[in-house]
Amino acid sequence: MSEHHVVVENLVKTYPGAATPSVDHVSFALPKGEMLALLGPSGCGKTTILRMIAGLIEPTSGAIQLNGREISQTPVHKRNMGMVFQAYALFPHMTVAGNVAFGLEMRGVPNSERGPKVQRALDMVKLGHLGDRRVTQLSGGQQQRCAIARSLVIEPELLLLDEPLSNLDAKLRDEMRDEIREIQSRTGVTAIFVTHDQDEALSMADRLAVMSAGRIEQIGTPREIFDAPANEFVAGFIGAGNFLSGRVTAPGQAEIEGLGPLRFAAPASVGSRVQLMVRPHRFKLAAPGPNAFTGQVESLVYRGQILTLAITVGGRRLTADLHTHAGTLPAKGDTVTLAVAPGDVTFLSEAAA
Amino acid sequence: MSGAAAPAQQMTGSNRYMLLILLVPGLLALMTTFLLPMVWLARASFSTSSMSAFGGGVTLEHYHAALTDPFYWKVAMNTLSLGVTVSFFAVILSYPIALFLTRSTSRWRGVLTALAVAPLLTSAVVRTYGWMVILGDRGVINSTLQSLSLTTDPVRLSNNTFGATVALVEILMPYAILAMLAGFGRLNPQLEEAASMLGASKLRVFWRIILPLSLPGILTGALLVFVLAISAFVTPRLMGGGRVFVLGTEVFQEATVTLNWPLAAALSVVLLALFSSVIVIYQRALRRLEA
Ligand SMILES: Nc1ncnc2c1ncn2[C@@H]1O[C@H](COP(=O)(O)OP(=O)(O)OP(=O)(O)O)[C@@H](O)[C@H]1O
Ligand SMILES: [Mg+2]
Repeated sequence: MSEHHVVVENLVKTYPGAATPSVDHVSFALPKGEMLALLGPSGCGKTTILRMIAGLIEPTSGAIQLNGREISQTPVHKRNMGMVFQAYALFPHMTVAGNVAFGLEMRGVPNSERGPKVQRALDMVKLGHLGDRRVTQLSGGQQQRCAIARSLVIEPELLLLDEPLSNLDAKLRDEMRDEIREIQSRTGVTAIFVTHDQDEALSMADRLAVMSAGRIEQIGTPREIFDAPANEFVAGFIGAGNFLSGRVTAPGQAEIEGLGPLRFAAPASVGSRVQLMVRPHRFKLAAPGPNAFTGQVESLVYRGQILTLAITVGGRRLTADLHTHAGTLPAKGDTVTLAVAPGDVTFLSEAAA
Repeated sequence: MSGAAAPAQQMTGSNRYMLLILLVPGLLALMTTFLLPMVWLARASFSTSSMSAFGGGVTLEHYHAALTDPFYWKVAMNTLSLGVTVSFFAVILSYPIALFLTRSTSRWRGVLTALAVAPLLTSAVVRTYGWMVILGDRGVINSTLQSLSLTTDPVRLSNNTFGATVALVEILMPYAILAMLAGFGRLNPQLEEAASMLGASKLRVFWRIILPLSLPGILTGALLVFVLAISAFVTPRLMGGGRVFVLGTEVFQEATVTLNWPLAAALSVVLLALFSSVIVIYQRALRRLEA
């Protein structure tokens, strides 16, 4: 019916005994080869969605289609999906190669073809030399890779990853992030992964779905989500922001409480109340003028390339990320002026006054 | 050995002293209740005097008697076969129960587990009498069969190996269940999910994942039941009605009826040797499984 590879429609899950649904009318569609991230705070229903797609739990209502075919009634072991669990779930009584071969064995792949396939999968995740090891003798990162090889060797229609990196230390996480992304684009497998780490979602996914309380708040490319968040929740969840609300006094201009006039580039009717946001990195040091706020530096955090500072203006805090190569840097207590171009002000919502 | 010694070497002198003091009560208790009787038993089995362990000279005649008399060989074989049969059936019957209790997510799980091992609250003697009431010639089963005119003569269900086996299986099942529950630590529902995602049907998940991972628990349960079954005395004696000869009943016979203590001691030592070798072989196998 469409060229979409995976289609999820109005998926609902209410756990027995629960008053409110854990997943509430979730819909999205994925073209072949795309990587979608489900991002949201703990308990918002990400794992529940993944497990419904996998067939490990039954949806209360809604449809899941793979290649245009409804699969809600297909049992788990016939769905041909790969899953990487948060705790890896490697079989402790088998070797690394045994774990990877398991799926092929279940598919009745003859022994002679199994060996080379397993070896290729292990080579892909750089575990080629460890096939005979017991999985209990692998490091965290190696277990992770073994789990990925095991889920990919069966050439799944869809790869599902549930917080695949959360058990790894920061350095390994960055490495595996690139590696998973690389493997995914090389194999061209369609993938959905769950995370509550915004950096992970922004850097790995082709598109991301930001969730809250069982609902998808916004779905789009990382860029769209970051630069044009649909609402305050999305804006606040992805990246930091200075949220400013005020009344529109003239086309493209609002009076912000405590700060004064701010020009922005979005249509909003005069007299209405608007919610605006300025990302910290959009502020620049400038001379006093329009769209600029002057205040005293209250705190400074030096982060190498970036200097994060907070100033107080009219009783409120504004935070800014400044590039450290931009001339002399302000010190604590200095009076500085932060300016933002009207085009860099994010318009979030408008309500009649 | 070196691995175990390493932490001890790091201990400071006073720590080691403390450790020794803490171990003393336990060691003393073990000495008096286990080690001394063992020494006494071993000495008695070589004694020429029939009533006192340390009196009389040393002789091998009781071992000679125990090991050359075909009757005792038959008794040993009986004991082994009873042990194997009882552990086989106790494990087969306990496994589904233990598996269910481990995997259940119901809030009644704790209650059910307690119920499964509740029979341990009554003594084996009481439960054996219970089985006599059920399986006896005038017991529940036979009187039912007769009142329905299905049989005229009672069906022999007790006073034989069958009765002893049935009663022992039931009496030892709670031990098997407990041992299995303790040995099922590697079972993990997520592994089953992973296997079915990889294409394994329910049946294959059981054969390839659940069974191998629960094998250590099964083997521990089997070992425990086996050891308890071959050393059992009350149940084979009561349910066997004097017609079931196992090492436990024979030791009792020699010690209290024939009053041949050295022979009873020699038989006990043979029984002990049997135990220990089974346990050693078993633990080897278990360790290999868990490696
Ligand atoms: N088996 C269950 N029975 C009842 N409620 C459940 C069950 N599993 C999850 N829930 C509830 O459903 C909601 C969503 O859970 P889910 O595991 O999908 O969250 P999540 O987004 O994956 O969170 P996290 O980031 O913490 O993993 C939560 O409120 C949770 O309490
Ligand atoms: Mg989760």
